[in-house]
Amino acid sequence: MTISIDHVPGNLYVNYTLHNFALSDASEVFVFLAGWAMRLVADGSAARSNPVAANWRLVRRSGRLYVSQIVFSLLALAILALGAVVLNAPFLYDWNAAGTVFADPVRGLIGLATLLTQLGYFNILPLYVILMLMAPVMIAIYRRHPMLLLPASMALYAVVLAARFNLPNWPAPGAWFLNPFAWQLNFVLGFSIAGKTGIGAFARRFRWPLFVVSLPILALGLLASQTHFAPISPQTPWIRLFVAFNKTYESPARLINMLALAAVVPGIFEALHRVIAPVTSAFAKLGRNSLSVFCVGSLASLVGQIYRYVVGGGALNDTLILVCTFLVLWITAWYTEDLSPRWSWRWPSR
Amino acid sequence: MVHRGSITALVLALAFALAPAARAQAPVAAAAAFSASCAVPDADVATSGSLAGLGAKLKAGDPVKIMAIGSSSTVGIGASSRNHAYPSDLSGILAKALKGSHIEIINRGVSGEVAATTAQRIRDEVDVERPDLLLWQLGTNDALSRVPPDQFAETVNTTLDWLKENKIDVALIGLQYTSKLARDANYIAIRDTLFKIAKDRHILYIRRYAAMKFIARTRAKLRLLSPDQFHLNDLGYECMAEQVAHAVVASLFVKRFRPGAAK
Repeated sequence: MTISIDHVPGNLYVNYTLHNFALSDASEVFVFLAGWAMRLVADGSAARSNPVAANWRLVRRSGRLYVSQIVFSLLALAILALGAVVLNAPFLYDWNAAGTVFADPVRGLIGLATLLTQLGYFNILPLYVILMLMAPVMIAIYRRHPMLLLPASMALYAVVLAARFNLPNWPAPGAWFLNPFAWQLNFVLGFSIAGKTGIGAFARRFRWPLFVVSLPILALGLLASQTHFAPISPQTPWIRLFVAFNKTYESPARLINMLALAAVVPGIFEALHRVIAPVTSAFAKLGRNSLSVFCVGSLASLVGQIYRYVVGGGALNDTLILVCTFLVLWITAWYTEDLSPRWSWRWPSR
Repeated sequence: MVHRGSITALVLALAFALAPAARAQAPVAAAAAFSASCAVPDADVATSGSLAGLGAKLKAGDPVKIMAIGSSSTVGIGASSRNHAYPSDLSGILAKALKGSHIEIINRGVSGEVAATTAQRIRDEVDVERPDLLLWQLGTNDALSRVPPDQFAETVNTTLDWLKENKIDVALIGLQYTSKLARDANYIAIRDTLFKIAKDRHILYIRRYAAMKFIARTRAKLRLLSPDQFHLNDLGYECMAEQVAHAVVASLFVKRFRPGAAK
């Protein structure tokens, strides 16, 4: 939901989403929960009894995610093209970084197919595709040397940050907005903490002390985001990304803030659930179906952007966009969870 | 040919800038640093701003890195090829104007991007590339996305604060002019907000709107826009590069060149 709000620039509610109160944002939570869900799959009886089939399922899931990325990117391009033609607004061809595709469709299509061209706000699924392809390796390490998975992930993360290595964009210049080789640590942290052994056992055993320790961390994150504080970038290149609040490379400060959120939010959510169960249940439904909700939410955001161009901003319009987006997302979650299992076409599960 | 005229003129501007006596006698030399198609009055080029860090590195003979960041005008949408995007044109102009200097220009444009998204990318890209000069082209998409001017101003100001703390020189490149957008109140509001930020903070501000408007009014047959009447064409990007080069060189070698009054 917060991703959908953040992706309508200028709207009133952008000022109230997670990134205003923490160093990390909804993207981190999304990937962390994806790792969490992966652990549940890995520890399931089906994956344990037939690891080869389980790995094949991961590769297929990666394929489904890839198809989702392609389909939703094409739908986004179609929405922009429709808007540009109907409204005689050629600048819509540029929005969400679509200019690369519309201006040079030959190279742009190659870029889309190879994930080297990613539309703006459509950067998470390519990351997710790579994470799914890495998942069999992660699970293999977890099965044979469970204590090695997190250190191995941290080592890769450290090397990537020090060397500043990333996948390139093409044909547009630059590199991936979310570097999979850095963000894999976020995924592995979700995977590790979801388990009932190792760091997961530690997190459960010391849940309340961790809750208390996390509060000052969150307070610092709140202070930094409210004051727009960011550390001065050191001159020494290899240190820079460890010190910064870098999103592309998922710098340590953002990771720590996200972990603090993970330690605190469940407790708060439980307390809220006792008081306003219908509301928390509705949001929980969105969370359980986050992939389909994210995909539809990306398109809803795009429609919201175009709507704002035509009608303008302001509290009324932005509230209308917010309510409509929530309804669309809830219907998507309801369809995915309650209806599509009975139908032939299903969303790829997380 | 456009390049050659521009380069000759820039060298003249440089010579003019380095010779205080000549400066007084030849106040139009800087304005002459354009090809015939792209020439605009000094007042429509830029408002002054210091590029002290970049100047010090050039003076020391160190290699310098310039990062061009922004949206479709930085990517070069509408140009016949990527080689005609303004950073590519600028690279050629500066290489000849500042002979003996090693200047690398990196293009980090993403089409359709609003300032808030670019601001995030600026921090991320600076961590990786650490440029000496950041050319930030912005405003058009914020105006069209109906981003409130105060929200836009906060984004720009906080980013400029951070760049200042990191001792990275900045030049802001303003919105383009088209006759249709000139009638859009939000567009004008964002343009004016950006101008005020640059003026208040004494940041080098490339007045693209004013320059394009001047050319549109005085040379009606010249086409700076592609057929969609929004994106620049090859000539438009060439003029943009000349304008940026002119302003950068003038800021490097003339402490304060004549700031304009019009927006």
